[in-house]
Amino acid sequence: MKIKIKLYTILEKYAKGKVLKDNTIILPKATTLQGLSHCLNIPDKIGKVYLVNDLPQSKEYRLREGDEVKIFSFIGGG
Amino acid sequence: MPEKIKGYMGEQLRISLNDKSYKIEKIDTKVLRDYLGGAGYAARVLYDEIPKGTDPLSPENKLMFTTSPLTANRIPGGGSIMLCFKSPQTNAWGESRCGGDFGPDLKKAGYDFLVIEGKSAEPVYLVINDDKIEFRSATGLMGKTVNEKLKIIRKELSDPKISVMCIGPAGEKLVKIATVMFEHRAAGRCGAGAVMGSKNLIGIAVKGSHKTPMAQPAKLTETIKTCLKILKESDFSTNLKKHGTTGDMAANDAAGDWPTKNWHANSWGKAEQIYHQFYNKHLVKNHGCYTGCPIACGRISEVKEGRFKTPAHEGSEYESLSAFTAFVLNENIEAAIQATYLCNEFGIDTISAGAIIAFAMECYENGILKKEEVGDIDLTWGNPAVLPELVRMISLREGIGDTLAEGVKIASERLGRGSEKYAIHGKGLEAPAHDPRSGKVLGVAYGTANRGMCHIHPLEGMAYDSGKMDWGLVKYGVPDPNTIDRWDEKGKGKIVKILQDGLILPDILNTCKFFMYAGIHIDHLAQLLSAVTGWKIDGQELLKIGERVMNLQRLFNMREGFHREDDLLPERMKQKPAFGFYENEDRCAIKDFEGMLDEYYQARSWDSKTGIPLKEKLLELALDE
Repeated sequence: MKIKIKLYTILEKYAKGKVLKDNTIILPKATTLQGLSHCLNIPDKIGKVYLVNDLPQSKEYRLREGDEVKIFSFIGGG
Repeated sequence: MPEKIKGYMGEQLRISLNDKSYKIEKIDTKVLRDYLGGAGYAARVLYDEIPKGTDPLSPENKLMFTTSPLTANRIPGGGSIMLCFKSPQTNAWGESRCGGDFGPDLKKAGYDFLVIEGKSAEPVYLVINDDKIEFRSATGLMGKTVNEKLKIIRKELSDPKISVMCIGPAGEKLVKIATVMFEHRAAGRCGAGAVMGSKNLIGIAVKGSHKTPMAQPAKLTETIKTCLKILKESDFSTNLKKHGTTGDMAANDAAGDWPTKNWHANSWGKAEQIYHQFYNKHLVKNHGCYTGCPIACGRISEVKEGRFKTPAHEGSEYESLSAFTAFVLNENIEAAIQATYLCNEFGIDTISAGAIIAFAMECYENGILKKEEVGDIDLTWGNPAVLPELVRMISLREGIGDTLAEGVKIASERLGRGSEKYAIHGKGLEAPAHDPRSGKVLGVAYGTANRGMCHIHPLEGMAYDSGKMDWGLVKYGVPDPNTIDRWDEKGKGKIVKILQDGLILPDILNTCKFFMYAGIHIDHLAQLLSAVTGWKIDGQELLKIGERVMNLQRLFNMREGFHREDDLLPERMKQKPAFGFYENEDRCAIKDFEGMLDEYYQARSWDSKTGIPLKEKLLELALDE
């Protein structure tokens, strides 16, 4: 299945070689958000927040064809 | 003569403005070992020297400018100064850090600490050049903006580079949210500028020719190299340089950590587009606040043309831009940039200014403030035009600005008519742009912070709960953040105790907190401190000093009448968000704040009913005087 994906700030580098030019990625059906993170080699220890179709979702959320995923982490400034 | 400790200059300069005299005092080395410097050393001095009930804007209040053994341009994160005083906003412990070269230059002049007392009969500025101390007339500086004052002082001294800290027109008018500025960097929170203004002290210029003695120069060089390597390899460091603190706007919005519309919600869904405009259209370049900063997270930005045209300047940080966008429901980034710029020129705190305007907008919406009371300006939510205008009115105490210049707590007490519930603050300090409805650690940290609801001490709340950062504190008892659910309340009180003891250390050592995010942890600070001073000091001892300082600042507040009932969160901050990504979500609500507080007090060994530290804890911390 094909989903749209955008990574922000400290996570941008994990798109390299995995995310296609049209900001999409091909994944097996029903991949979870955690599975997507593993596929992108984003370390588990980095704090992440997921939005799917502009709704917050947990790492257990199972992705569907055409979903638009945004993954954020934190630089830590205040 | 007391023995001189390496890393310190060994002297503090005490200025009496009453008669324009000064004394150079030797520093008690035992106090240095127990409190180190910065907000730690100042807590000891101000607890001992400011009598209970002192009016913060009276000559009896004292204003300290403090450094530490790690204050030096070559030490990673070592370029800042910490100002400490009794706050006119909270009547409690007040402190405010400012990045820049003023701290390192004060040490070069030969002083670790500067204590300002009394009140001058007429406006003056102070010039410190090694042991030459001069009081100069500041009559010609009155009413000038920060940048104008800076230029005049440097011209008068024929020194275009001398480090200067000064107040703006707001400090002269005793605006309670007034700042003390180093160029476009601010000692912003708690009203240090009003305290300085109340003393008729308009500015301080400092330079010197001394070198700080170091105990183990080779070890220090080696430790600095290790730290710089960590910073170079850190993704956080790279991204702080590229995006600055503003880079977290979209992430915090998504996490429910972006208080919106005077805290009606914890997200808005607009941060990504607002930040996109800032980054692509208005960001000029990054900038380090002090000479030699290896991160340089500061933002130089500008608005080239149009209604909100603003020259290139430094100042658009995460908190400032959030205060002038989300707080007030404004989508116009150009108005937010201009409002921030004007805050720095007039010398008021951007966070408090945005929060006060949000408060005023809600009062206006609910008919508490009428159009004729606010000078016929349109205080409708999100009106960009009103932001720069209200910044000016607050700074100069014009019209409704005179009431708003007192901060939301006092302004709401004056206005009455039910406005109190719109005043979102902790101990009198307006809440910043992080929301405990994104993670419950922040709730306890906000409620118990000694200087009120600030953006520095509770920073660890969201960064731990959502960011999963631990700053090397797991070995000292903090649970691995990856085993913690950010929405849970149970256990958070105990966690906050250790986080506070650890993350107060940058305020005691005057090191930039962002370096801790980038990987310079407690143990690194201990190594740097040991190399500089020759003391054998480790992370465990640093944590104990952190705990001692937390408790002494607490005692300062309790002596002023603060108790458990002041360790609170505004009701709105505990409720489900009204809109945004987390609209009406139950997990955001804080259900048992009192239970979290009980747990925190137990971890701190404070009396559960009063919040007073127990005798055995004070004995343990050598605070049992």
